[in-house]
Amino acid sequence: MSILGLGYSPWSPIFWLLAFVVVTIMAYFFRRRGQKKYKKDTAQTKVFLCGEEVPEAKQRHIRAHNVYWGFFETMKEYYEANMKTHTGIINDYIIWFLVLIAISAIILFIVGIV
Amino acid sequence: MNVSAIKRALWAYHINTGSCNGCDIEILAALTPRYDVERFGIMLVGSPRHADVLLVTGPVARQMAPRLKRVYEQTPDPKVVIVVGNCGSEGGVFYESYNLVGPADQHIPVDIYVPGCPPRPEAIIEAVAKAWVKLEKAAEK
Repeated sequence: MSILGLGYSPWSPIFWLLAFVVVTIMAYFFRRRGQKKYKKDTAQTKVFLCGEEVPEAKQRHIRAHNVYWGFFETMKEYYEANMKTHTGIINDYIIWFLVLIAISAIILFIVGIV
Repeated sequence: MNVSAIKRALWAYHINTGSCNGCDIEILAALTPRYDVERFGIMLVGSPRHADVLLVTGPVARQMAPRLKRVYEQTPDPKVVIVVGNCGSEGGVFYESYNLVGPADQHIPVDIYVPGCPPRPEAIIEAVAKAWVKLEKAAEK
């Protein structure tokens, strides 16, 4: 095990392989000691949630979007106004692009840059 | 009493189906140093998935009936159900309440009843000992 004395052992693939083997053996050992007499395909294999019925995965996961709830609530008016312009239709975006280019060109023309 | 068939200690899961907490306190009293059932390996666990015994207290409120059934179904076999207290056994002082759908044996099969309001810890310990004998017999078969 001279590899441990090299000073770079955390980066050694052999070190990682050994750690993986040890963890696998431990996991197998603990799994073997588990309850084997449970009935498969019954409630005994379902998740225990204090007696509650376990909801669908989609319902029980809190999405990252929820973290920003306060932010979205505060900026609601700003977002609502902006989201109206985002129709998802490419023709609308091209029209926006052309209109803004035209407005910019007029402003630049009036100011006398062009 | 032959207690060799079950290789490990007896673990119990406690479910309160609307109890006034009197029976729950007596169950906890059985764990205190005065009675100390853990010296026999009898202990409360946090999940029915790990339990051999279900300790049911309370007269089974309407909202708790499906939960009680679900917890019973999630307990691995062989299992023993002990109803602790008068309420779970036959409704107790609440038996005429509009919001009760009990007693417990109308929803799940009950093996042992411990009458009392609340029963003494000695009675609860004796019931668990009887459950142990029942599980021994089931294991021998």
